[in-house]
Amino acid sequence: MAYIRKRNKKIFGIFLVPAMLVLFLTTIYPMLYAGYLSFRSYDLAKPFVPRVFVGWSNYREILTSSEFLHTLIVTAKLMAMTLSVQLVLGVGIALLVTQKLPGMGVARTLLLVPMMISPVIVGLVWLFLYFPELGYLNYFLSFLGVGAIPWITSTNWALWAIAIADIWQWTPFVMMGTAAAVQSLSPEPYEAAMIDGNSRWDVFTRVTLPQLKPVLVSLMFLRAIDAFKIYDIIFVLTKGGPGDTTEVLSLFIYRQSFTFWRMGVGAAASFVSLVIIVVLITLFFKSLNRDDYA
Amino acid sequence: MSAPSKRQTVLVYLLLAVVLIVFLTPIYLIASSSVKPSPIMFQKPPAFLFTPTLEHYESLFGMRPFAKFMLNSLVVSFGSTAFSLTFGTLAAYAISRIRHKRMNDVAFWILSMRMFPPIAVVVPYYIIFKTVGLLDTPLALIIVYSTANIPLTVWLMKGFFDEVPMALEEAAAVDGYGLFETFWRITLPLAAPGLAVSAVFCFVFSWNEFLFALMLTGSEAQTVTVAVMSFWSSDAVQWGRIMAGSFIILIPGVIFVLTCQRWLVRGLTMGSVK
Repeated sequence: MAYIRKRNKKIFGIFLVPAMLVLFLTTIYPMLYAGYLSFRSYDLAKPFVPRVFVGWSNYREILTSSEFLHTLIVTAKLMAMTLSVQLVLGVGIALLVTQKLPGMGVARTLLLVPMMISPVIVGLVWLFLYFPELGYLNYFLSFLGVGAIPWITSTNWALWAIAIADIWQWTPFVMMGTAAAVQSLSPEPYEAAMIDGNSRWDVFTRVTLPQLKPVLVSLMFLRAIDAFKIYDIIFVLTKGGPGDTTEVLSLFIYRQSFTFWRMGVGAAASFVSLVIIVVLITLFFKSLNRDDYA
Repeated sequence: MSAPSKRQTVLVYLLLAVVLIVFLTPIYLIASSSVKPSPIMFQKPPAFLFTPTLEHYESLFGMRPFAKFMLNSLVVSFGSTAFSLTFGTLAAYAISRIRHKRMNDVAFWILSMRMFPPIAVVVPYYIIFKTVGLLDTPLALIIVYSTANIPLTVWLMKGFFDEVPMALEEAAAVDGYGLFETFWRITLPLAAPGLAVSAVFCFVFSWNEFLFALMLTGSEAQTVTVAVMSFWSSDAVQWGRIMAGSFIILIPGVIFVLTCQRWLVRGLTMGSVK
């Protein structure tokens, strides 16, 4: 025992410290630096203005500007749109591909492909589909009797255009997680439910869904964390437009920092986003500490 | 679950066909448009049978330094993979072997490092790299991508190390193997599949990344994702080139899904599914 304990300490020192040091330098340090910058006036467009301590003024500026609050609302809206559809579609498709029928494994593999495509390529192929006048999506939809939709040029549709691209890419993720969970469910409750003569829908809502709930909650937190960071697809499709209808938090930070070169304001907005993400990450890890699913 | 009846079977396959068409059409469009002659790029109904052309690939590699950008992407992806595997594997071994109640917190802390929004740290990165002269170099991206790849490697490798029985290591210790020797000659070879899986994850993540590459590189260290985006303009010729570039970029991801899908659940759901 003493030998093991002594060896443990050695392993800790030799093996763990380098990675933690690297992560500290590459993640924690930049975050702290963002915190430091957020209290300074740091304007790269005005190199001769001294970069002085300005207290809470950057925070006051963003938290009272309607533009910043607008980006938070758009981000929340987009999260609500994508998460709800991904949850319903993902669970539905998971129930399809877990049927005991030939070919399901292949279908499942094929459906995983969108997830592993660079988001910038996802944005580009959807831009190709949405493209005004030329894109194929409206052509396909015309067969379903849907009139031409100005996807990325109309303030009514632009956010949906982004949501659809994101839904296309990440529904497979919910499907994958749910399918794996469905397959690890124990068969006994089903046999009992079937003997009791319940309909398939009853079995699903009363037996399957309650068992899947913890997994679905965790998966949704992961999706929320990702959706909160969305950038690439919007950058390709609308760049926040038309007007500011699709301007999410990431684009606001980008614009403040790299269009207006107001690094202090950008850093303050970054720090607000870090606080929000810490809350989401904490909720995610809390959702993992459960005993009702093993 | 009970086996579905005949009517249900037909329904399942019908629904699945619709799902597959919806999810695979964009991928088919990338592949077909990359070899489609420009005049019929947007032809309706879409041409399924046409004489494929390599003109878009030729212009992709001919007109712009795309080969150079591909080399940049490869250097960055391999670099970050090597860097992350080295540090991540060691940390994963420690986390797997140390029995301590705080170890879970350390694991979660490392894991959470890859969940932070890239945009929130891009400003400090930009200023730091500008100060030390690393802006627009592959090294900058290698460092930045490792912040996501090290936690991922730790997470994946811990699972593989957990499966190597302690009894083997104890036997090695009895035979006089030291700590490093045990790790290097006994444990690591047994967890070798994990190294392969982690490497593929890290490679594809780095290869696909766009935001950091866009903001931290210029004309020198530009990667393929940024290069393809820069082809953007509204005429059909550009679309051919964009689709050719997109097709090249999506190849590693597709190979990844086909070879490593067993580990996708573990690698991406972060413990949601046990």
